Amino acid sequence: MHFAYGQQRKGSQPSPYAIRSRPYWLRVRRGPGQLIALIVGCVFTFWLVSRWTGSSSSERIPPGTPPVVLVTTIDPDYKESFVKILTKNRKDYAAKHGYATFFPSTQDYPLDEAPRSWARVPAIRHAMTEFPHSTYFFHLDAHALIANYDLSVEEHIMNKDRLEKIMIVNIPVVPPDSVIKTFAHLKGDRIDLVLTQDKDGLSQNSMIIRRGEWAKYFLDAWFDPLYRSYNFQKAEGHALEHIVQWHGTILAKLALVEQNIMNSYIKGSGKNAAKDGTYSNGHFIVNFGDCDKGSRSCETEMDPFLEKVKKHRRSDDE
Amino acid sequence: MSLSRSPSPQRGGGWSSPGLNTPYNSGSRRSSPMRAYSNGATNNVTWASAQAKSAEVKGYPAFQTRNQGIFARYARKVSSGMGLPMFAGANNKDYAEKEKLGRGRWASGGRPSITNLLRIIGNNLRRGKLVVLIPFCMVCGFLLYILFILTPLNRLYNRSTYGRGGSKFVIILAANQGGGVMEWKGPREWAIERDSVRNKKKYVQKWGYELDIVDMSTKKKYAHEWRENWEKVDLIRAAMRKYPTAEWFWWLDLNTFIMEPTYSLQSHIFNNLPANTYRDINDYNPLNISHPLTYPYLDPISLSPVGDNKPDSINLIVPQDCGGFNLGSFFVRRSVWTDRLLDIWWDPVGYEQKHMEWEHKEQDALEYMYRNQPWVRPHVAFIPQRKVNSFPPGACNDGGENPRFHYKEQDRDFLVNMAGCEWGRDCWGEMYNYRQLSNRLNRGRWERFKDGVSDYFRKRREETQKRKEEEERRKKEGQGQQQG
Repeated sequence: MHFAYGQQRKGSQPSPYAIRSRPYWLRVRRGPGQLIALIVGCVFTFWLVSRWTGSSSSERIPPGTPPVVLVTTIDPDYKESFVKILTKNRKDYAAKHGYATFFPSTQDYPLDEAPRSWARVPAIRHAMTEFPHSTYFFHLDAHALIANYDLSVEEHIMNKDRLEKIMIVNIPVVPPDSVIKTFAHLKGDRIDLVLTQDKDGLSQNSMIIRRGEWAKYFLDAWFDPLYRSYNFQKAEGHALEHIVQWHGTILAKLALVEQNIMNSYIKGSGKNAAKDGTYSNGHFIVNFGDCDKGSRSCETEMDPFLEKVKKHRRSDDE
Repeated sequence: MSLSRSPSPQRGGGWSSPGLNTPYNSGSRRSSPMRAYSNGATNNVTWASAQAKSAEVKGYPAFQTRNQGIFARYARKVSSGMGLPMFAGANNKDYAEKEKLGRGRWASGGRPSITNLLRIIGNNLRRGKLVVLIPFCMVCGFLLYILFILTPLNRLYNRSTYGRGGSKFVIILAANQGGGVMEWKGPREWAIERDSVRNKKKYVQKWGYELDIVDMSTKKKYAHEWRENWEKVDLIRAAMRKYPTAEWFWWLDLNTFIMEPTYSLQSHIFNNLPANTYRDINDYNPLNISHPLTYPYLDPISLSPVGDNKPDSINLIVPQDCGGFNLGSFFVRRSVWTDRLLDIWWDPVGYEQKHMEWEHKEQDALEYMYRNQPWVRPHVAFIPQRKVNSFPPGACNDGGENPRFHYKEQDRDFLVNMAGCEWGRDCWGEMYNYRQLSNRLNRGRWERFKDGVSDYFRKRREETQKRKEEEERRKKEGQGQQQG
């Protein structure tokens, strides 16, 4: 077993990368069967993954769905002309932005002896049933008008960045000295309820609710018969203040904004506006407060505003 | 120049002199190949290496120190047949090899050991060597048995989310229920607690669940007096914080006993929620709750008797006894819905108006919410009571024994809840009896055999005794008749 002298010999230095024979399972020659198996495996994996991710995808919203629904409850005791003013105001505004309107009667709901103002709570729930794909439900009291048609709900208030900018954080939920304060670090897109606060407390006369499971929870909890029968002095208003302060899951979804954003009180409204909460030109909403009390008349007070809005619209159209 | 070690033979033939920086394969060196010790154990060609090499050439070893016994020789044959990993040089009638730093001796023959193993299996499968395969399978099976049945690996498998997912379940066991801080426990209460806790501990250990034993009495010291005995909600929330990855939380009162520890929660309930629970309360409605709701302003899901009827939407599973919901044994799932429910469950306004009326506290409040708040219904499912909460005959006994509530031995019910035993019944006695029953029902084969044997003899003994007694009686009667 001697080799010739000049024979090419194996070098003694290892090659820079150790050559390893391929492992057993790689050495098997690939036939067409294996290729097919490989493809089937890929397809199966893709199907699995798409199923997992697909289940969590958000719901499909049909085209043409109004993004915002305006909800105002109408008391059967209102004068017809007054109702006309209200509905026309909302409808005009809705038409401009492609929103929908919803005007249920306060008698439509089982209030069980509770004051009629409670009807707004099931009314919003009702609107969510009627418009199951709309995103925001804007409840406006019958004593308030939309004064500036140019502002849209999404851009003016609900846009994430905008909302983060305008929400007032870390203030007592119920002024002046509630120990419960609004959360300081809420994300705008996590907010499901936008409210204002006047000098005396929360105002439920102008509020925006995002549709969803939380909204159902909030409205149903608010409408609980025990609250309705409790004789809160301000009925649903106090019940609202109560649940917001006692239940963290509600407070965590709440954003308070300045009154002048969406609930400006007109001078002499009979309510105590917060700082900068009195109506001036350009504000989105004008609230006439207790305009049905005493010698006041909501209709006559609202008239000039309608004129102004009309003029504004006409100049818009021309 | 001093050499750090003795010169050694080198692959290309010749001797390297490490101190000198000469290239190894310069070709100017000695060309005659050197025989090396077959496995390269030494770097020198020694007498031993030469001997071994010649043995290899001759085909049999000249002398043997090992493999002398018959078994050893047989085993050797088997193993050579199996193609055990060979040393690098074994059939390499090549040059002497020098060990090189970092390359190892196996490098030349070299496949990783797993590959080798696969190759062995593959080879044998191809050759169809049953002699080899059968013991191999036996060894594997035995190994698996050790790993999964005898050792904690089994528990790990039960716990892991990749296995049975036991860590997704938490049992919350309420200890010190009903007794305040000032209320002393007697020996019976201690015994009850000990038995109950041991029972659950064994169960969770078997299936890899978590057990959270919560002390109901400590809460009371700090709680607002109004909220007395309303700790369930707080404790569930605390447990959810404590076990952040768990999904289902099973609340258990202390006076409960798991009769069938061999049932896992998964196989018993959760693998098939739709079949094991019912959404429509009209199936069994002791409270006469009108269901579904009919208010026209509600959405279709709230109006439906079964919600959306998807198992994913079940967040609370409650059994119903003769008087309505029973919270002695119920399940909640971690979800936003549950957060909301736990949050709204206790409310001062409701409490103020109702606390005189709601003697079952959370239970009544839950019933109230189910009745009055439409958002609750689509996420609540009910479970037939005997699936998780069988009653002893003493509870709910107005109508006598009822197959809906009461424990039945032959059906092997999962759990017994001695509900209400503290009012006029013997908690410890019931607990003891059910424990014994559970042990007897779940004894192993060997115990069953032993019991069978002893039962047989006892019966025979009893029979003979009876016969004797009867004979004696007859005798006495006979004597009496004779006397008469």
